[in-house]
Amino acid sequence: MIETFEEFVKRILALLFWFILLSPLIIFPILFLLVPIFGIDVTTVNEILTASIDPIKALKLVEELGLGPSSTFFKVVAFPGFTFAALVATITILYERKLIAKTQLRVGPLYAGRFEGFLQPIADLFKLLGKELIVPEKADKAFFWAAPILSLALGASLLAVIPLSPTIYIARSDFSLLIPFAIIGFSPLVVLIAAWASSNKFAFIGGLRALHQLAAYEIPMLISILGVVVLTGSFDLMEIVEAQKNMWFIIPQFLGAIIFYITILSELERVPFDLPEAETEIVSGWLTEYTGMHFGLLQLGVYIKFYVLALLFTLLFLGGWNGPAFLPPVVWLLTKLFFVISLIIFPRAVLPRLRLDQLIRIGWAWLIALSFINLFIAVIESSLGVI
Amino acid sequence: MPKKTKIETALIESLKKKFNTTIKEEYVKPNRIKFSTTSDNFRNLAQAVKELGFDQVISQGGTDYPDNNEFRVEYHIICVSIKKFRSIIFSLMTTIPKDKPEIETLIDIWPSAEFHEQETFENFGITFINHPRMEKLLLPEDWDDIPPLRKDFHLPGRG
Amino acid sequence: MPNSVMNVVDQGGDRLVLHVGPQHPGSGHFRIIVTVDGDYIVDAKPDPGYVHRGAEKMAEYRDYIQNIPHLERPVIIDASGVTLPYVLAAEKIIGVEPPVRAEYIRMIMAELNRIISHLYWLAIYGIFLGHSTMFMWPMGDRELFIDLAESIGGTRVTFSYIVPGGVRNDIPINFKERALKTFDYFEKRIKEYEKIFFNNPLMAARTEGIGVLKKDDAIRLGITGSNLRASGVDSDTRKDEPYCMYKKVDFDIPTRQEGDSYARCVVRLRELQQSMNIIKQVFDLIEPGPVKQVLGGVMRGEPGEAFVRTEAARGTMFYHIVSDGDKIPYRVKISVPSFRNLIGMSHLLIGSRLADMPAIYWSLDYWPVEADR
Repeated sequence: MIETFEEFVKRILALLFWFILLSPLIIFPILFLLVPIFGIDVTTVNEILTASIDPIKALKLVEELGLGPSSTFFKVVAFPGFTFAALVATITILYERKLIAKTQLRVGPLYAGRFEGFLQPIADLFKLLGKELIVPEKADKAFFWAAPILSLALGASLLAVIPLSPTIYIARSDFSLLIPFAIIGFSPLVVLIAAWASSNKFAFIGGLRALHQLAAYEIPMLISILGVVVLTGSFDLMEIVEAQKNMWFIIPQFLGAIIFYITILSELERVPFDLPEAETEIVSGWLTEYTGMHFGLLQLGVYIKFYVLALLFTLLFLGGWNGPAFLPPVVWLLTKLFFVISLIIFPRAVLPRLRLDQLIRIGWAWLIALSFINLFIAVIESSLGVI
Repeated sequence: MPKKTKIETALIESLKKKFNTTIKEEYVKPNRIKFSTTSDNFRNLAQAVKELGFDQVISQGGTDYPDNNEFRVEYHIICVSIKKFRSIIFSLMTTIPKDKPEIETLIDIWPSAEFHEQETFENFGITFINHPRMEKLLLPEDWDDIPPLRKDFHLPGRG
Repeated sequence: MPNSVMNVVDQGGDRLVLHVGPQHPGSGHFRIIVTVDGDYIVDAKPDPGYVHRGAEKMAEYRDYIQNIPHLERPVIIDASGVTLPYVLAAEKIIGVEPPVRAEYIRMIMAELNRIISHLYWLAIYGIFLGHSTMFMWPMGDRELFIDLAESIGGTRVTFSYIVPGGVRNDIPINFKERALKTFDYFEKRIKEYEKIFFNNPLMAARTEGIGVLKKDDAIRLGITGSNLRASGVDSDTRKDEPYCMYKKVDFDIPTRQEGDSYARCVVRLRELQQSMNIIKQVFDLIEPGPVKQVLGGVMRGEPGEAFVRTEAARGTMFYHIVSDGDKIPYRVKISVPSFRNLIGMSHLLIGSRLADMPAIYWSLDYWPVEADR
């Protein structure tokens, strides 16, 4: 029985080792037979062995195989895809801890890594990898294992159509604004699966609260960004950023930006909307029964969602990558992204938590009304030819 | 130097008139008054003291006197609403025999005595008739020894 | 074990029986059995007794000096507040009066302990409402006051400093300067607390109108301490029946009329300021002199009884000591404010929401170890 993630990784590495050891004996003879019979052009042993010594030849070989820096594989896995998002997510976690600590007259992580504990996320990663994966006896095993994987999948799939600069993107689409929001709409499902599968009363109450909260803030989130669509006339994120060349949309759409910001806080279950995780009332809410790497994957999914939502805020309201030409556009984007991430983290230091009925009343009554007013303003502005 | 007891003596005049010889005045000192009576008359005395204006039970306890084979039950009442009586603690005392340790509850007169009476029940075994919950409050539910604050209960290792 | 206490009973319909605590971040060493109907609490039964150590029984085996560290343990965060009434009662039985300087020093320690206890309460209240900064700041500032108390008492928490006959030792020479510097710094910090917490509209939305305790109910149910003062009754034992030298100092009793959780918070904050005020006045009134009346031999008392009540941080603490002439007391009865406030807790919780439970429960400042003794 696999007990920890570490054992799982060890087993995979053992499998790989035996594969690498035994494959020349089995695969190369087959290759030598395939070439004359089927006429398939495969890389010869000579090419592979030279590439392992000469870096330039290695790069060419990797490009040919479709794994090079300009290939789709690289874009999806490394930059601007999953690895980059995970990196930003871990940096966000560390930055959050340091920022909150400094506000509270503390120091935060200090010892891992020479300078202000910057290696703390790596230390946390190793800690989580080594923990025992506890599955409660009465839990529904299939769903219990599925929830963290779904959370991570949800986070990762959001990265597909969001561009980081006019040339850096994974895929283009005419509806690249709608696709991330459609996928985010699945978040309540992940929460429900996690809460139900835990088979724990406190987790169940937390899961129900999270569902109420997420459902209440979906509609204001979607309507508040429609103003931007009206002003641009397109759902394509590239064109939306292009349209902000002269003026960032935060100025004509100030109300929409504020509403979107509030709904981001609610979607990510951050203070003051962190009721589903209220630890002093219901232990840890719907995350209660998840330990070790289960918890790590769930949190990674949530923080990748954080990165995506902050990125969307920057693209929609802060002019994306537009900025003076002395720095590449992607640098401008990352600077603004950093600012938005700080803005989302900061309420945790200064605000207490809202109660469920107050939270829901704000979502269904106030924010929907204000977001419709915002849409109306956008229509007026568009007809007057402001943009 | 004799301390002034004007307010206290004025207070107990009406009590003495009403109850005459059925209550016994233990002492009247500055800020401390104590009366005792038999257990059947206890409720009437308590009702009269409540009408004087004393509204909160600050403590309720018992003491075990194994030589006289009796328990002493005491209520200490204070007054919070009337300013000039705020410094006085009015104590009521009664004794009940150890073979039949029951007394009527006073929680309909002073609701603040509810948990105190429950604690006295579990520590001494005194039953308060008409109290809604005569069960263990602080002691563990599976306590099977004699009530611990009695003098025959000896702490292990301390004689 | 009786089934009604241990098993989870689903009472059908929407009702759910929840056991909040004792292994719960929001409850302390104490359990409340709550019956919820949807989000509303229909029944709340407190279940104290998890930390019951039989303090009253053990006090009958120790003499008057040995009882001081023993009886200090139930309320370690307000150590002077719980030993002061005991020592006053023991002095009445033994028949000894402390010198005047000792009484002033006792007042300093009692007020310092009040500040320490209230800051602890404020920190936990912040974290119960989800405000992590309001947890860190009072805990950090509390360390300054613990340092002051440590310079007098010798330890951080349980000083065993007040003894029959006076106090154990004199205060250090530069204590007044250090204390005045700390008070100046802390008064600036109180303004920051008000900005971030007390004037925070989200915090007001969580606590205003929540857990309203009306004046008649408070008096009838036996509520004491800051909870009583927040419901409109200006009763404080330091003014009602002054002990030590409280007659000589001039201070206000903060009172509010609404009786909700927000009122209780504000009353405690104002009490912090009044405590600092009292200590400053004591510094002006105190004269050099002896601090302890040395008693030779073993302390014995006349047969009789003594009751004393003082204002501890949580409310009025009451001691009743019965002596039969021996060197160990015959009976020590302690009545702690948290135990008396317990009825108020079930009264306030019934009819409120489950989400308001931490805000109501902790605003009564219930300390489970003290209530269990």
